[in-house]
Amino acid sequence: MKKILAIMLAALMLFAFAACGGNNATDGNATNGNADLKGMSESPISEVALNVDYEVPEDFKIGFICLHDENSTYDLNFLRAVDKIQEKLGLKEDQVIVKVNVPEGNECYVAAKDLVTEGCKVVFANSFGHEDFMIQAAKEFPEVEFCHATGTKAHTEGLKNYHNAFASIYEGRFLAGVAAGLKLNEMIEAGKFTAEEAKMGYVGAYTYAEVISGYTSFYLGAKSVCPSVTMDVQFTGSWYDATEEKNAAEALIAGGCKLISQHADSMGAPGACEAKGIPNVSYNGSTYESCYETFIISSAINWAPYYNYIIGQTVKGEEIAADWCGGIAEGSVVLTGINQDVAAEGTFEKIQALVEDIKAGKLNIFDTANFTVGGETLNSYKADVDTDAAYTADTEVIADGYFHESEFRSAPCFDLRIDGINLLNEKF
Amino acid sequence: MKKMNFHIVKREPMVWYKAVLVRAIAIIASLLVSAVVIMMLTSKNPIQIYSSMISGAFGSSLRIWSLFQNVAILLCIALALTPAFKMKFWNCGGEGQVLVSGLATTAVMMFLGDALPYPVLIIVMLAASVLAGIIWAVIPAIFKAKWNTNETLFTLMMNYVAIQLVAFFLKYFVKSGSGILTPMPEHGLPVLFGQSYLLNIIIVAVFTVLVYVYLKKTKHGYEISVVGESENTAKYIGINVPKVVIRTLVVSGALCGIAGLLLVGGTNHTISTTTVDGRGFTAIMVSWLAKFNPIYMVMTSFLIVFLQKGAGQVSTDFRLPSAISDIVTGIILFFIIGCEFFLQYKILSTKNRKEND
Amino acid sequence: MSANAAIELKNISKYFGGNAANKNVNLTINRGEILSILGENGSGKTTLMNMIAGIYFPDEGQIFIDGKEAVIHSPKDAFRYKIGMIHQHFKLVDVFSATENIILGLSEKGRFDLKEAAQRVKEISDRYGFEIDPMKKIHEMSVSEKQTVEIIKVLYRGADILILDEPTAVLTPQETRKLFSVLRKMREDGKSIVIITHKLHEVLSLSDKVAVLRKGEYIGTVKTSETDEGQLTEMMVGKKVSLNIDRSEPKNCEERLVVRNLNCVDREGVKILNNVSFTAHSGEILGIAGIAGSGQRELLEAIAGLQKVNEGEILYNNPKTGACDNLRDKTPMQIRDLGVRLSFVPEDRLGMGLVGNMDIIDNMMLRSYKKGKSLFLERKGPRDLAEKIIKDLEVVTPDAKTPVRRLSGGNIQKILVGREIAASPTVLMAAYPVRGLDIGASYTIYNLLNKQKEKGVAVVFVGEDLDVLIELCDRIIVIGSGSITGEVDARTATKEEIGLLMTKSADSKGGQAK
Repeated sequence: MKKILAIMLAALMLFAFAACGGNNATDGNATNGNADLKGMSESPISEVALNVDYEVPEDFKIGFICLHDENSTYDLNFLRAVDKIQEKLGLKEDQVIVKVNVPEGNECYVAAKDLVTEGCKVVFANSFGHEDFMIQAAKEFPEVEFCHATGTKAHTEGLKNYHNAFASIYEGRFLAGVAAGLKLNEMIEAGKFTAEEAKMGYVGAYTYAEVISGYTSFYLGAKSVCPSVTMDVQFTGSWYDATEEKNAAEALIAGGCKLISQHADSMGAPGACEAKGIPNVSYNGSTYESCYETFIISSAINWAPYYNYIIGQTVKGEEIAADWCGGIAEGSVVLTGINQDVAAEGTFEKIQALVEDIKAGKLNIFDTANFTVGGETLNSYKADVDTDAAYTADTEVIADGYFHESEFRSAPCFDLRIDGINLLNEKF
Repeated sequence: MKKMNFHIVKREPMVWYKAVLVRAIAIIASLLVSAVVIMMLTSKNPIQIYSSMISGAFGSSLRIWSLFQNVAILLCIALALTPAFKMKFWNCGGEGQVLVSGLATTAVMMFLGDALPYPVLIIVMLAASVLAGIIWAVIPAIFKAKWNTNETLFTLMMNYVAIQLVAFFLKYFVKSGSGILTPMPEHGLPVLFGQSYLLNIIIVAVFTVLVYVYLKKTKHGYEISVVGESENTAKYIGINVPKVVIRTLVVSGALCGIAGLLLVGGTNHTISTTTVDGRGFTAIMVSWLAKFNPIYMVMTSFLIVFLQKGAGQVSTDFRLPSAISDIVTGIILFFIIGCEFFLQYKILSTKNRKEND
Repeated sequence: MSANAAIELKNISKYFGGNAANKNVNLTINRGEILSILGENGSGKTTLMNMIAGIYFPDEGQIFIDGKEAVIHSPKDAFRYKIGMIHQHFKLVDVFSATENIILGLSEKGRFDLKEAAQRVKEISDRYGFEIDPMKKIHEMSVSEKQTVEIIKVLYRGADILILDEPTAVLTPQETRKLFSVLRKMREDGKSIVIITHKLHEVLSLSDKVAVLRKGEYIGTVKTSETDEGQLTEMMVGKKVSLNIDRSEPKNCEERLVVRNLNCVDREGVKILNNVSFTAHSGEILGIAGIAGSGQRELLEAIAGLQKVNEGEILYNNPKTGACDNLRDKTPMQIRDLGVRLSFVPEDRLGMGLVGNMDIIDNMMLRSYKKGKSLFLERKGPRDLAEKIIKDLEVVTPDAKTPVRRLSGGNIQKILVGREIAASPTVLMAAYPVRGLDIGASYTIYNLLNKQKEKGVAVVFVGEDLDVLIELCDRIIVIGSGSITGEVDARTATKEEIGLLMTKSADSKGGQAK
């Protein structure tokens, strides 16, 4: 028996060392060690400090529910913000409870309930499909605040303790689009292709408003500096599918796209771009470390300001808004630094100037003067903002010459198919 | 010349208490090895990790209910696959069979929920779910029986079709265009004694006994065993093999239908492409580990759900990457499966023998 | 240690699970000598030789080759010691030619030259008197040709110790004689030959010495010239056994089963049964002789409803009702429903007749589980039957709940035959029912068949051992390449006569029995 045990132990040790080896390898690939590279610049948006005007009691607890774990860039973005706020507020480990890999089903309700049992005063969930189960839990525990990112139902559900949040990420995407447009201009000038051939590719997950709003603002950003640009969009039908996203990016490149951006969470598209040497505008965070030859810039939502807001309101006993949408001014929309080896000359300065315009309210992303639908400029459009059984378009969203995105509810509702963007498949 | 200095020899069957002892040692060894790995990778105290695992599974009444609810669903799918497996029909399509059943349940809840009186609705849900499961399971069975197609590939493919069918359904029938169908708990299965999962657990417990009896005590079960052991023997004694294959997959599909009903009607009250969440595949492991014995499957499904819940709690409590808890789960399963080898074989050293001579 | 000892085994033991396949075996194989390893099935002959050939590794004991200790881990190691074994089941690639198979797996230095290899093959076969076409493909060969390829393969690799496992099992008497003459030539060439066998007359006609094993233990070695059948049997079995079959005269013969112009093809459309006609009478044992694979299996399976029939009819005269039913194109279930009491002991015991992983009781139910309308199984009857068979046929088993595959070949066969007889059949077909059985068990089976015959059952016996066929049967029909090539009276026929009929070509005249 001893002998058997010894052999099994030996086999397992080998297995364990193999596992360690694997870990080290991923840690080690970050450096590329090329001294000639100029590398990343600062972010063109100066950091907004978190404004903490409250004391967090010792017994306060907050719980987070994430659809996947740190391997998904989407969830990683939320988790990083959790670390940020925890550090800022000096919260102890047991004051912040994070549940990862919670599917969009009854398990989400169980997780929320479990967090309440653990004593959380605020429960936050990060995936669109969590919403109904968060509402279910919110109804059961009226004394606990339930906050949900990307959801749409808070303003119609009428629960005092259920809230939606988002960020005006279309501003960030617009700015990233400007960087893309400048890069196209640079390549046109260098004679790599003509202005008419300037086509971008975009890998999207689904044909939801969130994605449409995202790629439209990105396109409008590029178009503001490179008027001849067009864009192809390929949908994958999944928020996280490295293979499909890689395939979609490769198909777009094969279809003549000169620059790729994406709204999906894996490294599929950036990886494909790096392999083919096609410039890439990323999302959720920098992919510079693994794609330093093609990465230009990335926009992302910083959730820390929202966490700060909901913790503050709860601690102070004040109401949390049913819908909350942070922008550049709140520090919710951020840009990474610019890869100076890939981005066009003057990108940094151009974006910096536009940031000031946005902050000053001088620049409206969805200005109806800048886009047409079916060849015509829109004066009026009703979007489906309120969640009801019939899903009717219920709210007038165009006024003062621009589309009021994220004003009537936090989640995006821009779902217009504007000219210049060609959807390759709409099956998802 | 360098030579292997051991060889492997089949051993005679062990007495039961020895076999239990070997398994217990395997579990203890797995915990020890996991402890070493945890310490090397995270510098956390392994005792804390284990207590966190236990608390993740049993820490509160909610967790215990959730644990048993998950065991029930996983066990139900494993029960569904087992008759097919006993027949050596490698049904890897549990995922799809449960998903289409769930879809059928969803459709009934959605379109007939308000139209039918509640008791009738439940019956229609049951019928639709079971029928959908049967259709999904029986198609590969017919192809296998008539044209001897490979059932493993066929059932796997049917999984993808099922997923796309659900995606299609959500795209075309969810009017918000968000692809998320709002749960309809008002049309769900009845809640017993205020415990939303109790009904699921009771139903699966009943089916566990039924499947056990079906496989061990009925003529059908006997025919399944004969076909599984040797198709030639089955033909020799006059069993109509295609008929048994199809009939067994009807049973398999019907049970998947029950699982789909419980998952959608009794738990989620809605559907998404990830509703089954890989359980159709995990169930394969549950069934194999239990050597296709439904009673043992209670234990193996419990073990797997316990490990999943425990691992989840570990990554929550210590904010470890979930990969760490997956490694621990992997080590434990490795030992448990690996010890089966030592129950059947022993390793003899050739070197020792010579020294002894 | 004798001067010309090639291999010496010292205290060799090998265990499978808790069972000793070989226990403390000491054995010497000399150069220039033919040694027979004699023993009943399960006595450990093959296991012992497999250890010399590198298939198994001994758990205890040592092997000496030319006086030096040898460690043989693989067949490759064995070849290094110039040991080659010809297994019972040939290991040849069907689509390759003889030469290609012979050089397969060799890694010789220099250029690969098929022609040169073929030349060497030719040389070897000329030297020992083999008849072989080096370029002929395996799938075009007869069993005996394939065996020749296996032997040359071993010689080509330079073996001078050859081990042959039951080499005559698949050969006709004529082919056996040819093989023996080749082996004698090799002996003259100084090679050591070991043949594993359980056939006494072969031992006596071929070998110089006989080593006898019994239940894994080494009993002793005797010189062939100084022994006889009686002594060898006693050494093998451990007690005196009478080797006589009491053959009674057939009584009350009626035509029970009439097969007319039966034609069958296999999956590829190749004809496997060609106009087969014969009649089996009640109260008589009809023997079917033929080279293995001549269509015996298909013939019995066609009668049992397991093989599709293309032409012809299978008529059954029901002794109870007097009706005459055609069994053609009926499933086994339909045949049973007609009231035909047909029992069938198939050649493939664990693959067809029994389920290895099921216990004895569940195997008893195979034929009868369907009885009654209940959804549930009735295990009481089968349990009683299992207990009865275990008792009556002296089946060695821990209990009736033991999986059948754990039992020895003889005990497995007793259970199968016991079950088939328990159904009180009117026709009993048995394919190779004593293959692999020890002498005691074989005679148990012969007696069971004889008793059935006396009860008025029409017994059809497919056998390979012509001595047994002649002793046991009343009439013998011979099948060759799917056709009936002749019919003889077992009481007057000789082995040679039957052997000639076995190899008679299919299209020669007289393909039908009288």
